[in-house]
Amino acid sequence: MAVTGQLASVRRDLRERDVRVVITALVVAVATVATISLFASLLQRALVTSASAFLAADRQLEAEHGRPIPPDWYQEANRRGISTASMVEFSTMVFGGDRFQLVAVKAVSDAYPLRGQIEMQVGEGAERELVSRGPRPGEVWLNPRLMRLLALDMGDSLEVGNQALTVSGLLLREPDGGFSMAALAPRIMMHADDVPATGVVREGSRVEYVALFAGEEPELEAFHRWLEPQFHPSHEWKSVQDGETLSRSLQRAERFLLLGGSLAVLLAAVAVAVASREYALGQRDTVALLKTLGLRGGAISRLYLRRLALWGVAGCAGGLLLALPIYYGLAQVLSEVLERPVAAELDWRALLPALVTALVALFGFAYPPVRRLRQVAAMRVLRSEPGESGRRAWPDILLAGLAVFGLVWFYAGELAMVTALLGGVAALLAVLALVAWLMVLGLRHLRGGGTAWRLALVALYRHRQSTLSQVSVFAMTIMLACTLILVRSSLLDDWQAQLPENAPNHFLINIAPEKVDAVADFWEQRGHPLAQLYPMVRGRLTELNGQPVKEAVSKDERINALNRELNLTWMSELPADNALVQGQWFEAGARDGVSVEYELAERLGLKIGDRLGFTIGSDTLSETVTSIRTVQWESMQPNFYMAFPPDGQLAAMPSTWITSFYLPTSEKALLNDFARAFPTVSVLEVDHIIERIRAIVQQVTQAVEAILALILAAALVVMAAVVSATLRDRQREGALLRTLGGQQRLLVRSTMLEFALLGLVAGILGALAAEAAVWALQLRMFEGEFQWHWSVMLPVPLVSAALLSLFGRWQLAPVLKVSPMLLLRRLE
Amino acid sequence: MPDQTPTDMPSSQSMLKVEALSHRVDLGDDTLTILQEVSFDIARGESVAIVGRSGSGKTTLLGLLAGLDSPSSGRVVLDGEEISALGEDERAALRARRVGFVFQSFQLLPALSALENVMLPLELAGHEAPEAQATELLERVGLGQRLRHTPRQLSGGEQQRVAIARAFASNPAVLFADEPTGNLDNRTGKTISDLLMALNQEQGTTLVMVTHDEQLAQRCQRRLSIDAGRVTEPEEQH
Ligand SMILES: Nc1ncnc2c1ncn2[C@@H]1O[C@H](COP(=O)(O)OP(=O)(O)OP(=O)(O)O)[C@@H](O)[C@H]1O
Ligand SMILES: [Mg+2]
Repeated sequence: MAVTGQLASVRRDLRERDVRVVITALVVAVATVATISLFASLLQRALVTSASAFLAADRQLEAEHGRPIPPDWYQEANRRGISTASMVEFSTMVFGGDRFQLVAVKAVSDAYPLRGQIEMQVGEGAERELVSRGPRPGEVWLNPRLMRLLALDMGDSLEVGNQALTVSGLLLREPDGGFSMAALAPRIMMHADDVPATGVVREGSRVEYVALFAGEEPELEAFHRWLEPQFHPSHEWKSVQDGETLSRSLQRAERFLLLGGSLAVLLAAVAVAVASREYALGQRDTVALLKTLGLRGGAISRLYLRRLALWGVAGCAGGLLLALPIYYGLAQVLSEVLERPVAAELDWRALLPALVTALVALFGFAYPPVRRLRQVAAMRVLRSEPGESGRRAWPDILLAGLAVFGLVWFYAGELAMVTALLGGVAALLAVLALVAWLMVLGLRHLRGGGTAWRLALVALYRHRQSTLSQVSVFAMTIMLACTLILVRSSLLDDWQAQLPENAPNHFLINIAPEKVDAVADFWEQRGHPLAQLYPMVRGRLTELNGQPVKEAVSKDERINALNRELNLTWMSELPADNALVQGQWFEAGARDGVSVEYELAERLGLKIGDRLGFTIGSDTLSETVTSIRTVQWESMQPNFYMAFPPDGQLAAMPSTWITSFYLPTSEKALLNDFARAFPTVSVLEVDHIIERIRAIVQQVTQAVEAILALILAAALVVMAAVVSATLRDRQREGALLRTLGGQQRLLVRSTMLEFALLGLVAGILGALAAEAAVWALQLRMFEGEFQWHWSVMLPVPLVSAALLSLFGRWQLAPVLKVSPMLLLRRLE
Repeated sequence: MPDQTPTDMPSSQSMLKVEALSHRVDLGDDTLTILQEVSFDIARGESVAIVGRSGSGKTTLLGLLAGLDSPSSGRVVLDGEEISALGEDERAALRARRVGFVFQSFQLLPALSALENVMLPLELAGHEAPEAQATELLERVGLGQRLRHTPRQLSGGEQQRVAIARAFASNPAVLFADEPTGNLDNRTGKTISDLLMALNQEQGTTLVMVTHDEQLAQRCQRRLSIDAGRVTEPEEQH
């Protein structure tokens, strides 16, 4: 009964325009934020699954030095509801078709892969298939190149150690085909059960055991916490986040979504603030009347508070009802893009931001003007009071500012982003104040005329109060939308630049120093010159300023670089895509010093002048840090944590050389010639990985576009709401102007012009403010260089002018429909 | 296109000519006849009071005379132009040049100052110096000190004075007023009617006014009674 009563009162409220606008704004806010966070969490899951395929699992545990992973670890994982698989990787000679060949073996259990799929063929001309299992016991799948190298056919026998296996497939792509430096030789894949019979793997041989885990994130985390104390230094725990190239792309996408969500929050707040202010203004007479009837201030506050709460409930319910179908639609699109179903589960946690947004928007923005209603004098019934003074609004603005700050912070969780955004908004408001002042100054002396132009200008001055608030809202909306567009395009450009069409997709590793020239000639002659060859020495970082490095670095820092051998190099020139952050690059003829990669230096807390000790084989080497440089890990060029001068001690150590280059798929046959000519050089094919990364970036791009479209739609709604907020006044004014002899055509033209001018000013201001915000964001978060975005920014004022004049025309329609007769009939 | 200046200087002395004017509204299954075959003439410079019971159709008639609405049948000729035959926009253009209005509920725009409200019709008509003209008129109605005040800050009587200044701003040939003192007390009403009559005299305006105020009606040269949709003219008034 109480519920029906409240429903009835919401229905009654809904008859009021401003209430409709407030509730619509809330609905849009809740719908946008809810859709974005639902979709973001879905995307997150989809991408993590997609990215997990890079590990063929959600987590991998690697154990080097031939130590099998204890079986009770698997049991514990299973007990926790985590699925497991295992694999063993080692290199060995195989014999087949009268030839010997060194291969990299991957032996997998039945459950492999836990995530992602293997691409294989059952014969040279057969269909390519995606399968979710490895070879059965007794079978083996070969890399096609190896197949040709050994001249084997399907069904032939391949001897791995003491065990003969039947060739039953061509291995085209494995989900966890990332490049670890051990996987140098051509790949074969067999079943783990066959490994003991080969007799190849013995205690202490160079074998890598890998355990794969897949399950829910909290369980995985808990399992990791349980496992961690038992780790040996040779254990390495890998999660998707550690995959460098992809995780960077994902992080940016995630930030973009958060940014989008924050903008939605801001837009919603603006819409709610505008509408509720209108509502409060319209309610003053009612409040005065209620006071005359004997209602006290407190009772009036409670009355309106209850109303607000009801609207909040209505807005949230409406927003969620709207969000769900949009979300399921997006999920559907995503499934199609990913070519596999994405479970569109409802993640209730993702709805929290939407509800918090509604609450804060309502009580941070809608409540203050409504709260001030209790101060309305009962005298108002008899005589209207002068308009509100600006001073009383200050606490409201402060409260609203705090609310927005808190909200965006809560949503984005990044102070840098919040500061950049709100800084942009603040700068915008400051500029607006100035422009407002100038505009009033400039328009004051303008007097009307019969032309639409003059009328429009006079109207701008005449409505200077609402003109200013509308320009502010439009400019803010435009700024937010433009920021998003700009961030999106720089995001996409970044991704594009990261993996250009002819990014290196093959690595040559293990080139003996005396073969370097011959290898370079080989590719030069075949039209694929090698850009740059780097020497490489494998070594561990063991000492920092004379202390063992693991003690010198705080315990809670898990640094993979310390757990494994690093690739050390020497070079005379700083590579083009590296950049010095601190210190000096080696001078010509320098013998001492080491240049450290920036992120590693950060994590280890290294400074210029620190002394690093390396263990290389049985030798040790000690150098002082002379520079710190950034590295483009995504570039698919050989990259090094540590670089030494060419004339230093490292250059005297035994080394091999490494390079990367681009080879189109159509010319992959050249690799066979190369392997024959240089049997000791290893070829690492990463073209499949690059393709996968490209595909994922494409998905993320589409998601980003979808979110952008959603926000732009929300921005339009906000603008429409603001335009229509002045409808009541305009209706009355329109009727009056027509009674006083204004012609419809003139009214239409001058109104459209008025809004076009509004749009132009708002567009220019919004675009400039967006540039400022992007500049700040880029500086802090997206790590790009700032430049003016003329091509995006120039059309903005024009588009906003056109759009707003259409809005103006659209809201004029009911004004023109009102008969001037209404004035005689006391339109109040 | 109506011309800027009245080319057809009316040959007759008639400012408003109403012939067989009828107005009906559709009430779904029924039609309500508000005005039935009304005919009368109003001469240039004449002041006319329209009186009648509430609901008798006075406001409707006034709206038709001013071309705010079109009649179901019949003709209205205002200053030589048949407005009942004109389109919306042409009627508006005619109003801009010829017609002033005073409403019972003032109808000032709340966002505008008194001055801006008065300037509105001048701007619409493309007046050369709207501010000066408006200031002058406001001074004339005794509000020279309140130019920058908004309607909220003015009393009802003051608001109506602003409205009168606005009505006379465009130097109209005809002034229509619908119960101009209806929302005011007797004393204020008297001030307003004095003002209305005085300005009317000064500018030689034709005045057509709906009123319940017997005193005000008395001050008009002529009285039209409306009852059950028909207009009658009491003999003794002439
Ligand atoms: N559009 C309409 N639809 C229905 N009825 C209407 C319409 N316009 C006027 N009427 C009716 O026509 C009658 C005359 O209305 P009008 O407003 O002209 O009366 P009035 O003489 O001005 O009354 P008052 O003195 O109360 O202002 C009324 O009964 C009114 O309800
Ligand atoms: Mg009436």
